[in-house]
Amino acid sequence: MLIADALLQGILMGLLFALVSLGLTVIFGVMDIVNFAHGEFLMLGMYSVYWANLFFHIDPLIALPVSAVVGVLLGLASYYCFIKYLLRGPAIAQLFGTFGLMLFLQYFAMFLFSADYRMIDKGLLVGKSLSVGPFIFDWTKLAAGILSLIAFAVVYYFLHKTKTGKALQATSLNKEAASYMGIRTDRMNAIAWAIGGGTVGMAGGLLVNFYYAYPMVGILFVMIAFACVALGGFGSIKGVFFAGLLVGILEMIFPVFGHLIGSDFLGPHFKFTVVYLAYFIIVVVRPQGLFGWKN
Amino acid sequence: MKIRNAAVLSLVLFLSLLIASPAAFSAEKEIKIGVLYPLSGALATIGRDLQRAAELTADIINDKAPGVDIPMAQWGGIPSLGGAKIKLIFKDHRGEPDRGADLAKSLILDDKVVGLMGAYNSAVTKTVSAVAERYGIPMINDSSTSPDLTERGFKWFWRTTPHDNYFNRDLFELLKGLTEGKVKGVKAVPKKDLQNLAYACENTEWGSSVAKSIEGYAKEYGFTITKGLLYNANAPDLTSEAKALVAAKPAAMLFAAYLSDSLLMIRTLKGMKAQTKFFWGQDAGFEMADFAKTLGADINGVLTRTVFIDKITRVKKVAGQVNALYKKKYGDDLTGATARSVVGVQAWAYVLNKAASTDPKAIQKACNEINIPANDLVMPWAGVKFDAKGQNVLGRGLIGQYQKTADGKVSLEIVYPFDLATANFIYPFPGWK
Amino acid sequence: MEKLKDALDFSDFSKAERIGLVIFSVFLFAFPWIGAGSFTTTVMIQFLLFSLFGMGWNTIGGYGGQVELGKAQYVGIGSYTVALMMVWWKVPFWVSMPIGILIAVGYSFIIGYPLFRLKGHYFAIATICTSLVLKDIFDNWNLVGAAKGIELPIHDHPDFLYMQFKSDTYYYYFIMALFYIALFYMNWFRKSKLGYQLRMIKDDEDAAESLGIDIRWCKIKAYSIASAFVAVGGGFMAVYNLYIDPASTMELSLSIKIALMAMLGGAASLWGPIIGAAFLVPLDRFLGSWLGGQKGLTGIDFMIYAALIMIVSAYQPRGIWGIIEQFRKRGH
Repeated sequence: MLIADALLQGILMGLLFALVSLGLTVIFGVMDIVNFAHGEFLMLGMYSVYWANLFFHIDPLIALPVSAVVGVLLGLASYYCFIKYLLRGPAIAQLFGTFGLMLFLQYFAMFLFSADYRMIDKGLLVGKSLSVGPFIFDWTKLAAGILSLIAFAVVYYFLHKTKTGKALQATSLNKEAASYMGIRTDRMNAIAWAIGGGTVGMAGGLLVNFYYAYPMVGILFVMIAFACVALGGFGSIKGVFFAGLLVGILEMIFPVFGHLIGSDFLGPHFKFTVVYLAYFIIVVVRPQGLFGWKN
Repeated sequence: MKIRNAAVLSLVLFLSLLIASPAAFSAEKEIKIGVLYPLSGALATIGRDLQRAAELTADIINDKAPGVDIPMAQWGGIPSLGGAKIKLIFKDHRGEPDRGADLAKSLILDDKVVGLMGAYNSAVTKTVSAVAERYGIPMINDSSTSPDLTERGFKWFWRTTPHDNYFNRDLFELLKGLTEGKVKGVKAVPKKDLQNLAYACENTEWGSSVAKSIEGYAKEYGFTITKGLLYNANAPDLTSEAKALVAAKPAAMLFAAYLSDSLLMIRTLKGMKAQTKFFWGQDAGFEMADFAKTLGADINGVLTRTVFIDKITRVKKVAGQVNALYKKKYGDDLTGATARSVVGVQAWAYVLNKAASTDPKAIQKACNEINIPANDLVMPWAGVKFDAKGQNVLGRGLIGQYQKTADGKVSLEIVYPFDLATANFIYPFPGWK
Repeated sequence: MEKLKDALDFSDFSKAERIGLVIFSVFLFAFPWIGAGSFTTTVMIQFLLFSLFGMGWNTIGGYGGQVELGKAQYVGIGSYTVALMMVWWKVPFWVSMPIGILIAVGYSFIIGYPLFRLKGHYFAIATICTSLVLKDIFDNWNLVGAAKGIELPIHDHPDFLYMQFKSDTYYYYFIMALFYIALFYMNWFRKSKLGYQLRMIKDDEDAAESLGIDIRWCKIKAYSIASAFVAVGGGFMAVYNLYIDPASTMELSLSIKIALMAMLGGAASLWGPIIGAAFLVPLDRFLGSWLGGQKGLTGIDFMIYAALIMIVSAYQPRGIWGIIEQFRKRGH
């Protein structure tokens, strides 16, 4: 019973984690860059929905496209104004470049919005819950899980069925071959950043329904997203989906497990430690992640 | 010629002395106090509130405040030091212990401060007070509640605020009061209805020491902890923690949470329609203005420990007067955190006045002997008097309950101590809206 | 002897660099007497400490080219060993610090062995993860004080055995001595066999392997050298701050700061980590103390800091040292 409940809750959170990580893996696949500022896109997505809700009284769920658009614009702006120039350097310079971007966006948000914690209190689903038999679900989480799944499906469809998506996939498999075939790398990169920003912005819009927004919120999620992306295999869409679910379930199951064996030490304070440990172990056994193909 | 020259010279000298003397003798002396607060970073909001309250208090002392019935409001400086003004030098430690220590050194050696105050975060207070101890500079801590701080045998450290053990004992006194029918508006509750308790504390130094202390008092007062858990306040999700609490079916859920996790925890519990007799929060998140602002009527019935509630103004005149000044200037009521900072600066002023000197030894002696009467404080305390460890033994905590008001908002009412109660206790928890 | 000669031999550097080093050394020695104030002294100590960290990171991260983001765990190991041995058994600093180094090196072998199966970003994320796991364990382990951290007892009198002094000048000269040992070591290291092997691995792993270099073993060795450096700095932090907790010694942000300074100064160059620390530490501290307390400007100091990181990493990926070299070449 406890375990079944934890499984269901874990799946809901896992779907959201997967959506948060999706953009990271798409960007990585196309251009081999790990984006530290990813969490800040999430944070700005959260703020955009929060402000839309506060000032224009738009329901947070209806304001979702706002956060997606904000995310896309942010992704494009970061790419054209900054990331493009970063690509000349080695991996480590890129990493710290995005780290700089992360710090910048964090404190820019703090400058604009102050360090206050902000939570949405008015909304269609905010604070409501659904009872199904012995299970109780938060409507906001349920909606977040389902919408994450839909968003994921849309992106998956886009990447695998449309021409642009296929070009994107080709670029991530082999950049040189793709450019010989006339695929413009620059444009593909920009599209990857737009998708990355858009999906994570949307994840932010979903998250703000039940989570607080504040300038440093990104780092909490980006660490999990890193683990998900690496666990699934860098660049693998399928991988990140299952890794997200795995992380969500692990995070919920572990405390239940600790409770069942009656251990206080293995309490919920270790739930993400277990995630990191799992990543470490899985990756040592399988150095390319669960579904990865790249080195 | 020579005589004339000498006469002119002496005249010039005399005149210049005449001009210079008022400046030289009545030049307003300044007493510098270094104040360390987290003014940027994640705790910037609370740090800035603390800064405002400290500044306001310094202004009351330096510039007189006619409407406030505390002697220091008529001082216009420190009387025993020739009306010297208190100058607060603020430094931002960002919540980093090593930065705090470096800034403390800079305050002591570069700015030559007479004493230190701060630092809010218990971890930073530890390094800052270690620096003060090394240099023999007095430090009055206004706002850190880790019990350990006054257990270290420091000779240059005093704390005005009661620490967490006081507050945790208050909770159990309230529970005991409930079983004995002492609580305003509630008939005696059979003890078996309150027997089982559960707590969830965040796992930094503050939360984990609260957890330990709760366990200790539960044993002492004869209650059972059916579930106790520590969690990471920065977790992206608290569902499993909330589930564990609900599954334990306790009579009361006790929390030590910062603002972010308290918001998340209450929301998550609401989502699960958690039922229990009452919720109690150990300050921090639960007593912040944003907690009530964000959660609104959801928290009708939730309890928080604190040291100051604006309802105090009904029973304490001076609290109302200072609060009115603060509200006029900044638009907010004083809270537990900011009122402590008022008392911190006030304690410094009284100590300096008693010491009549800025010599560290004299201040040390004054600190050990100080006795600020209850009537002078904005806090509902019996006064400020330090024991041999430097802890103020006359402080006490409050327990407040959020109650719905007619206009749909919530306000904090005092339910403990019983003699200060301003409203009937809502018992049991009325359920989620 | 040969090694010592190598370590002290800076003759392969240009004249300008050697003159710069001499001027810099004179400045370092004379600094406590120029009366710059105590805050500046603390900033200098931080600068030397982070140069030490950065030089350590440079072995694996710079010369070895591995994106290593978990150095904070070794700061933690170093500082916790010193602090715990002092609190539990009153062990003097001079005994506990070498033990701290040994533990750090031992731990780095255990962690490094599986870690170096991984490459590129998998490796980077894994180093972050191991550091986070260790921090979480220390955060909840009551024996070592959990999140409360550990306070070291304050000694009333200056005590060389326990490295306890009232004045920062002593700490300054102590960390400066460590800094020079590190600098000479690194000067030897870059010319050593391992140094050459690492550069080869960085350039082309397959080629290095075909030359018979044991890649994994080389990386592990460099990694444990880096860990030893960082553990020394950690031990220093414990006696200098007299209080340590997992949040200030093992946080991810510390790992990133260490790597960031070395990278921004110029990875794989002897001067890089020093320049990076000389640039970022004062920037962070002075900006923070000027702007941090200003009303209405919350975050401005960090924005300037972040913008500079962004500009350097986009403009010249080889860091500030790269920019300096670029100008020098243009000058010729």
